Amino acid sequence: RGRASAAPSTSDREAIRAIRIKKVEELRNKGLDPYAYKWDRTHTANKLQEIYRHLGNGEELDQSDCVSISGRIVARRAFGKLAFLTLRDESGAIQLYCEKERLQSDKFEQLKTLVDIGDILGATGTIKRTDKGELSVCLTSFSLLTKSLLPLPEKYHGLTDVDKRYRQRYVDMIANPDVADIFRKRAKIISEIRKTMESAGFIEVETPVLQGAAGGAEARPFVTYHNSLGQDLYLRIATELHLKRMLVGGFEKVYEIGRIFRNEGISTRHNPEFTTIELYEAYSDYESMMNMAEELVTACALAVNGKLALDYQASYASSDIGVEICLERPWRRETMNNLVKEATGIDFANFRGDVTTAREAALKALDATGVVESDRNSVRASPSVGHVLNEVFELVVEPRLLQPTFVLDYPIEISPLAKPHRRDGGLTERFELFICGREMANAFSELTDPLDQASQIKSSRKVPSESHSKFLFLQRKRLEEQVEQHRRKDGDDDSAYEVKVDEDFLTALEYGMPPASGMGLGIDRLVMLLTNSASIRDVIAFPVLKTK
Amino acid sequence: SRVAVQAEDEGIDPTQYYENRIKSLAAQKESGINPYPHKFEAELTILEYVNKYEGLNSGDHLEDVEEKIAGRLMSKRSSSSKLFFYDLHGGGAKVQIMADARKSDLNEEEFTRFHSSVKRGDIVGIIGFPGKTKRGELSIFPKTFIVLSHCLHMLPRQRTGPGSEGQKITDAWIPGSGRNPDSYTLKDQETRYRQRYLDLMLNSEVREIFKTRSKIISYIRRFLDELDFLEVETPMMNMIAGGAAARPFVTHHNELNMRLFMRIAPELFLKQLVVGGLDRVYEIGKQFRNEGIDLTHNPEFTTCEFYMAFADYNDLMKLTEDMLSGMVLELTGGYKIKYHANGLGQDPIEIDFTPPFRRVDMIEELEKIANLDIPKDLTSDEANAYLVKACAKFDVKCPPPQTTARLLDKASLCKLLFHRSILLVGHFVEEICINPTFIINHPEIMSPLAKWHRSKPGLTERFELFINKHELCNAYTELNDPVVQYQRFADQLK
Repeated sequence: RGRASAAPSTSDREAIRAIRIKKVEELRNKGLDPYAYKWDRTHTANKLQEIYRHLGNGEELDQSDCVSISGRIVARRAFGKLAFLTLRDESGAIQLYCEKERLQSDKFEQLKTLVDIGDILGATGTIKRTDKGELSVCLTSFSLLTKSLLPLPEKYHGLTDVDKRYRQRYVDMIANPDVADIFRKRAKIISEIRKTMESAGFIEVETPVLQGAAGGAEARPFVTYHNSLGQDLYLRIATELHLKRMLVGGFEKVYEIGRIFRNEGISTRHNPEFTTIELYEAYSDYESMMNMAEELVTACALAVNGKLALDYQASYASSDIGVEICLERPWRRETMNNLVKEATGIDFANFRGDVTTAREAALKALDATGVVESDRNSVRASPSVGHVLNEVFELVVEPRLLQPTFVLDYPIEISPLAKPHRRDGGLTERFELFICGREMANAFSELTDPLDQASQIKSSRKVPSESHSKFLFLQRKRLEEQVEQHRRKDGDDDSAYEVKVDEDFLTALEYGMPPASGMGLGIDRLVMLLTNSASIRDVIAFPVLKTK
Repeated sequence: SRVAVQAEDEGIDPTQYYENRIKSLAAQKESGINPYPHKFEAELTILEYVNKYEGLNSGDHLEDVEEKIAGRLMSKRSSSSKLFFYDLHGGGAKVQIMADARKSDLNEEEFTRFHSSVKRGDIVGIIGFPGKTKRGELSIFPKTFIVLSHCLHMLPRQRTGPGSEGQKITDAWIPGSGRNPDSYTLKDQETRYRQRYLDLMLNSEVREIFKTRSKIISYIRRFLDELDFLEVETPMMNMIAGGAAARPFVTHHNELNMRLFMRIAPELFLKQLVVGGLDRVYEIGKQFRNEGIDLTHNPEFTTCEFYMAFADYNDLMKLTEDMLSGMVLELTGGYKIKYHANGLGQDPIEIDFTPPFRRVDMIEELEKIANLDIPKDLTSDEANAYLVKACAKFDVKCPPPQTTARLLDKASLCKLLFHRSILLVGHFVEEICINPTFIINHPEIMSPLAKWHRSKPGLTERFELFINKHELCNAYTELNDPVVQYQRFADQLK
């Protein structure tokens, strides 16, 4: 038995590398190129498996029917005059059946001595299914295309070191074929979103990442400095305000899929850079965005999973059992007030601005749910009935919204960019979409009145902390207070950041923006949901990690 | 006869105009009217409306038909207090509104008061019937006329000629044709860039440029998707700056207390994915360079990089030819485009994208054009001395250090640099590249990430595509020998 996929210990690594560098020299001495220029293949491994699935055990095809494949060697067994290699390419794997007498001169010896697991090989041969039923390419010739210098991790199924998986994603992908599959699905989801948007007549645009003003938001922006302009620039925390400028400019249906940056902590749910889609449609209202959300999510689910039911792991639902999510349309649409009433029996519409009574009722209802003291404090600190309603919603209702639910009509106090509700005073035409207890999308009938908008932005007291896809403005005053507090707390002037109301955006609104609705949807979260991934790091190829 | 109502606004101070409008909105709110309605159900786009009714005869009025359209008013004219004409623009098309007091739901007095409050730039929804005027102009005759959003500022006006009567219904700029900046209503460049929404609103050509941008990117995606390339996203912020090729933006992650650099290229991450087994990958995305701003440089810009396992630079030249010629054909209907290479004031030149593109060997071509005989070993002192002399002879300035690579051309440390000094290659070879031309086989000393040429010592398997003397693409058979790569990086840092 030849060198199996034995486990090289860390101390072996350098030794193996040295041996392989010697092999590189040896190959060159034989006039062979250990780093070839190109390889023409006729088939992928999976294509061959498909074409020849009916080939019987022990059957072999005409020797003149030659195929050519290429990929990485992931396993090998060598005997005297016979060797079995497993070659894997992007599509799948196939066995290479290597007999000494079918190969020219010393090729079989080369295969045994110079080819290691991890090398990338081009192979030509004929098709046969072994007696044991393994479809194989009977090797007639081969070329070493890339010599690998470092050994693959232990068993090739076994890269379990989570940290290493993220730091060396390529090793993760070689070792765990499922990982590459998640990125294929991610690509497919984004592609499906684009198709859906294009067929609805939307145009994709690109708006700036680097901006002159932080614009102000709950999220702390990254700051950088442009040398030749001699000026601080901020990385965008949303695409919203520039896309709305496009509406003012006369584009009626626009969207952008792109990277957003937030200078905040990292976790299984947060990466400093992440991807969203924001879309805006003139002459429509938030009803239209609900239909769009259903359309987008179901189209993506069908594209990657072929069905609308999906199992999703328990982490979101804070239980150990996975839940089956049903994406069959239509999805439930219910107002925030009704959902809270359903869960607690309290009708916040009855308080009519009496925040003290609202707080008392909320605290009493929370007694039954065993919430922690800090949550009770945030209820006590809520400055308006709308804020209390939102606190109770987040604490009691949100985690229960496992099946897709549109939560409608948010209080005006927490929705500075949404249009006031056309019927209910104190509310806005806004919804958030929840699936698996997690916010997926946030949308409004957009506020188009510049004067109202200016006062909203300047007077709003608080925005939701988990507003993942539409990163709302905070009032200038509140942000300044925040910065001030931060300064006082840390005594660290470097961490303060400048906050401004985007005056230019307000000017654009004064030129007139058509009535419109808009939505932001977190693509990483959608990919997590549709690929059953627990961590955002599983759906971002190269996540940001703490320095070791 | 029609009287343009420009006089109504003419002479009013912009601040006064703005304040008047604010007052009028406040008055509406005061009287319980919401001046910003939530929704208007436009059933047809303006273009659809035009296509549906352009076949009407002059004087036809389909009074039984009801249509709903919406858009922005870009001109207003009146012939009496009972008859107003507007041009309604939207989605690159326009149609006339003929508001006649006799057809309106409002009584005459209300009608006059309402229409004198409607301003150029307002966004309106119209419910009315289609018809053509006696002069043959397709119009909509409103029964209901709703202002949906208000333009509180005076819009810049078209200075040349009255109104827009001479304009076609859709006067869209077509990709590949020359530009016509004289037709712009908003000409001031500073305002155009700072308030792009005004540029888009007022200059229809500009709107078409951005639509074309969107189509170009969409074409590239479709082209690569059909070849089984997978679109991926790699980090825009990295812990290490991507080499010495360009000055990066630096930022700081507070909670991790970590210095981060904005990417200057996705190259190294994309190659890692190829190592991981994704054989064909691409990324279309923003890159960032902390450098000066000029005609062709913005601190953030968009690139497409793609990597294809088992293929070499010959395959990529073919692919590039197919992609670009196919794109030009799809967008313009032919292979030849007009481009204002010598400034918008001059006639455009023609650029021909008919494949195959010309291929010129960098050193061979340089020797031929400049009548040089460069020593074969480009690493030698002899070659360096020869090139110093050549530069002097042709008055090509190369600031020190006068390395051989710099004398020839700027070294390329990553895929797209987009800035180069005009050195020997720039002076002679790139100058002749008007139609798409591949300059190939660059010397090893200026191509640290490219694989050495399989048969020409000292050279690499690399190409750059030049169009109108500008570098558009840069590609290699990728260097994948880690030992050699390490050595080349080390040499670069020397």
